[in-house]
Amino acid sequence: MLHVNQGSFVKEVLESDKPVVVDFWAEWCGPCKMLSPVIEEAEKEIAPKAKFVKINVDDNPALAQQFGIASIPTVMVFDKGNVKDTMIGFRPKNDIVNFVERNL
Amino acid sequence: MSERYDIAIVGSGPAGLEAAINAVIRNKKIILFGTENLSNKLIKAPKINNYLGSFDVTGKELMQKFKEHISAMNINIVEERINNIYAMGEYFALMVNEKMYEAKTVILAGGVEYTKPLKGEEEFLGKGVGYCATCDAPLYKGKKVAIIAYNKDAEKDANYVSELAGKLYYVPMYEGEYSLNSSIEIIKDKPIEITGDTSAEKLILKNEELNVDGVFVLKDSVSPGQLMPGLEMEGEHIKVNRNMETNIAGCFAAGDCVGKPYQFMKATGEGQIAALSAVSYLDKK
Repeated sequence: MLHVNQGSFVKEVLESDKPVVVDFWAEWCGPCKMLSPVIEEAEKEIAPKAKFVKINVDDNPALAQQFGIASIPTVMVFDKGNVKDTMIGFRPKNDIVNFVERNL
Repeated sequence: MSERYDIAIVGSGPAGLEAAINAVIRNKKIILFGTENLSNKLIKAPKINNYLGSFDVTGKELMQKFKEHISAMNINIVEERINNIYAMGEYFALMVNEKMYEAKTVILAGGVEYTKPLKGEEEFLGKGVGYCATCDAPLYKGKKVAIIAYNKDAEKDANYVSELAGKLYYVPMYEGEYSLNSSIEIIKDKPIEITGDTSAEKLILKNEELNVDGVFVLKDSVSPGQLMPGLEMEGEHIKVNRNMETNIAGCFAAGDCVGKPYQFMKATGEGQIAALSAVSYLDKK
């Protein structure tokens, strides 16, 4: 998964020509570590219909602030520059696939 | 990589124990999480007359028989409290603080002893309300946080959070001495409700209101839906079918946690079904 930061956010997420699934995470967050391999499995199932990226909230506090991240992991689907839906906390693969599919 | 068990059983009441003995009889490698007393509900029962074959016994006597039974089968109880179970796909990760156990299948048999949520708690979960202070504390750097604590373990978390938060209120739901950093304000009052607009803004207690950016609720036991993210519930019970299968493949449930009636015989019967279902799931793999 592509790592996005403050500098590349507009280009990679907001101006993307297909929906983007953003995983907000941090090093110190246990559930984020567990979600990571699961979301990569989900990506394999959904790609190329959507792009999957990760944002480290520690390195990019302004982005976390902008999107009101109060708990991680938080996964958001962006489409045409807007937040379409938000999922908070760890979820099994099927839940993630369903969450993304219904927002495509 | 830790050892991967065939079946992890969470709970040492009648459902969990019956699941354990049946899984062991079928040669599966199991791990059983619970407590030395097996079940608080069991030891509190004054007289039991509806358990077939054991007439006119006290809960403690029945507990003793259960203990003899499992020890005769070399089943040990691992006295650890599981905080979270993650369905990773191929296996389940069972977390005890920083420690992780792995199992191919899970049987949930934790009873129904969890604390009822506060008003607003579920509404604002992930929007200012959290159950893992150490996970989300860095997001509240310099902000106002309240911790509602149901046990002494929460004090360690509170001390950690106080180093990051701008202001920390500690609302203890238990009696005793509190070993807390001096910067923490202890509030001895009864929480009533969490309110806010799009995220939590206020913790309302019986005698006062606190303006906060976040509330952490640290309990003894959380509902199964919180324990295992993605688990489908039906009210306060885990949704299962006749094979004791939950909505998550490889995860089964038995006993009071799946519904009424809350009875020992029903719990053991379900524990047995759950174990056999787990065995056939494993054998198909």
